[in-house]
Amino acid sequence: MSEKQLMRGSQVIAEAAIRAGCRFYAGYPITPQNEMTEYMANAMAELSDGTFIQAESEIAAINMVLGASTAGVRSMTSSSSPGLSLKQEGISFLAASELPAVIVNTMRGGPGLGNIAPSQGDYFQATRGGGHGDYRSIVLAPASGQEQADLTRKAFEYADKYRTPVLILVDGMMGQMMEPVIFPDPIDALDLPPKPWILDGAKGRPSRIIKSLILNTREMEDHNWKLARKYENIAREITTAESYLTEDANMVVIAYGTAARIAKGAIKRVREMGLKVGLFRPITLYPFPSKELLEMSRVVKHFLVFEMNTGQMIEDVRLSLEGRSTIHFYGRPGGIISTPDEISKEISSIYYRQHLEEE
Amino acid sequence: MNIVENFDLYAPRLVDKEEYFSAGHRACQGCGEALAIRMMCKALGSDTVIVNATGCMEVVSSFYPTTAWNLPWIHVAFPNAASVGAGVEAGLKVLRRKGKIADRDVKTVCIGGGGGTFDIGLQALSGAMERGHDMLYACFDNEAYMNTGIQRSGATPFGASTTTNPAGRASSGKGEWKKNITEIIAAHGVQYAATACHSYPLDFMNKVKKAREVKGPTFIHCLAVCPTGWRIPSEACIKMGRLASETGIFPLYEVENGKYRMTIKPEKLRPVGDYLKAQGRFRHLTPEDIERIQEKVYQEYNKLQDKVNNLHAWSELK
Repeated sequence: MSEKQLMRGSQVIAEAAIRAGCRFYAGYPITPQNEMTEYMANAMAELSDGTFIQAESEIAAINMVLGASTAGVRSMTSSSSPGLSLKQEGISFLAASELPAVIVNTMRGGPGLGNIAPSQGDYFQATRGGGHGDYRSIVLAPASGQEQADLTRKAFEYADKYRTPVLILVDGMMGQMMEPVIFPDPIDALDLPPKPWILDGAKGRPSRIIKSLILNTREMEDHNWKLARKYENIAREITTAESYLTEDANMVVIAYGTAARIAKGAIKRVREMGLKVGLFRPITLYPFPSKELLEMSRVVKHFLVFEMNTGQMIEDVRLSLEGRSTIHFYGRPGGIISTPDEISKEISSIYYRQHLEEE
Repeated sequence: MNIVENFDLYAPRLVDKEEYFSAGHRACQGCGEALAIRMMCKALGSDTVIVNATGCMEVVSSFYPTTAWNLPWIHVAFPNAASVGAGVEAGLKVLRRKGKIADRDVKTVCIGGGGGTFDIGLQALSGAMERGHDMLYACFDNEAYMNTGIQRSGATPFGASTTTNPAGRASSGKGEWKKNITEIIAAHGVQYAATACHSYPLDFMNKVKKAREVKGPTFIHCLAVCPTGWRIPSEACIKMGRLASETGIFPLYEVENGKYRMTIKPEKLRPVGDYLKAQGRFRHLTPEDIERIQEKVYQEYNKLQDKVNNLHAWSELK
C-alpha cells in the first residue's frame, strides 16, 4: 500500500494503471481527460519498460492498444465521449478477437461535440457494446478517487482473465476532483502470468493467429455463443453494487458515479428529516446488478433513478425490476451538475406524494 | 505621406473594410491564428462557406450565445473538416446546376489547426484533394494541440517541449521532425499550394485570393504563432512569425501548377538560434541540439531552393 496521497482523479487512474502493470498507453488529446495522457507521458518515460505513444487520432490509439495487447502487454487508452465514438471499431475488434484492454471514458456533454462538462450520456454506448456486432464490454463506474484506484487495478485483472475489453466510465467531475487515495502495491509487469496466445514469433512452434473474420456462418455462430457464455460467467462472477442505508428504506435512489456521490449527499439530508431513503449504486454497469435490485424490490416499492442524462440506466432498472416496483426518474443532461439540495427536494417530493411517511 | 496615418484612404484599396471575423472573441492575447483568420476572411469576401474543424478557433469564436463569425460557418468534429467541406461544395454545385440557388461563385473553405490537419484530419484532407473538390483548405498551424493544453502533434517541431513530450530528465522535447504538410499536399498535384504567415499580411492575403480563384482544390499552410503554447510574450507574436521566415525554419513560398516560387525571400538567413532561443518551449535545448536543428533547416531550405530553381511549371513540360 502507498502513503495517502491527494490526487486528481485522471491522474489516479493513470498511476493505478501503472501499478497494475500497464506498460503501454496510447492517447490522443481531448478535454476533460488530458491530465491522464500527460501523466502517462511522464510516468512511462520514468519506467525502463514503459511505452507512451501520442497517437494521431483516437482510432489510431485504440488500434495501437490492440496491437500492444496482441503482443501480450497490459495496455490502456483513454478519451472522452466523442473520442470514444471513434474508438468503437477497435473495441468491437478487441471483443471479437478476445484481446484484453482497458479503455477509460471521461464522459462529457453530448451528442456531437457537446461540451466538456460532466455527463453520463454514454451509458448506452458503454453497456450495450458500443461498436457493431454481438458483444459487451465490462463497464466499471467508480464514484471516488479511492475507487478509481481500486477499480483500475480490477479492470486490468478482468481484462486479462476474461480476455475482453474493460471500460472505466467516469466524467470530468471524477477526473478533475482531488481526493486522498491509497494505492495498492505495484505489480511487476514481468511477474504477471504468461499469456499463451500472444503473437511473438513462431520459431520452434506452430504459429498462432488472432482474428475476428469468421466467414463460415456456423463457426461465427459458435463464436458468438462462446462470447455470450463468457458474458454470463462475467455476470456471475464480478457483478458489484453498493447499498447505502437501504436496510430500513422504503424508497431507494439508484445512481452511479458522480450522480451517486450527489445522491449520497441528498440522502444524508433527507435522513435528517426522518425520510427512510437509501442508495443503490451499481459499481459494474455491465454486468448490471439486476439480481440485487430484484431482491431489494421485495420490500422497496419506490425507486428513483437519478442520472446525468435523459434516462439511460433506467432501462436496465426496468429490465431488472420486471414491473415489481414503481420507478421514478430525475435526469439532468448536458453537463449540468445537480446539487444534493436539488436531489433531496426531488426525493422528498416523491416521498410525500406517495405517502411513504405513513408506512 | 505615411500610409499608416492615411490608413482609411489606402487600406480600402488593399483590403476589404468589412469585418467577417469580428472582435470580442476569446482568443488569447497576441493570438496569431485569430489575426490570420481575420485576414483570410477579408481576402475571401462574403461569398464563402467556412467549415471549421474543432480546435482553438471554434472554441474561442463560438461561445454560446455569441459568435465572432459574420460568414456562413459550420463547425464539425476534429477529423472531418475536409469531408464536410467536400459535402458542402458538392451540395452547392448540384443546387446551382438545378437552378435552386443563384449561380454565384461561393467558395467552400475548410479550416483546421495543426493537429486537425497533420494528424487526425489528414485522411479526409487527402481524399478531398485527390477528388478535386473546388475548395480551399487552410491550415492554421500553431504547432501543437494548444486547445487541449499543448500536446505534441505531427506539426510540432523537433525539440519543442509539450505536455506529452515534456523536456526533462528522460527527454529533451519532441524527438521527431515536423511533417512537411505543404509538400504532402503539393504531391497530390493540386493547382495551388502555399505556405504563409500572419506576420506578412499582404503576402498571406494575396495567397488566399490566388487560391480562391482556382477552380479546384487548393491548400495554404499558415504558420500561426501561439504565445501561450510557445511560451513567448504576447507582443512577440508578429516578430516571431517574421523570425520564422528570416531564419528559414518556415520559408514562405508557393507552388503554382508545379512551379515553386519564394514569395518572401530573406537575403541571408539568420541563425535559427535567434528563433529558438526566444521561445520558452525550446529553452532546454543545448547548443548541440540547436546545431542539429540548424543543419536540418539549411538542408530543407536548400532542398526548397533547388525546387525553386529547377522545377518547371507543368505547362512547360512536354
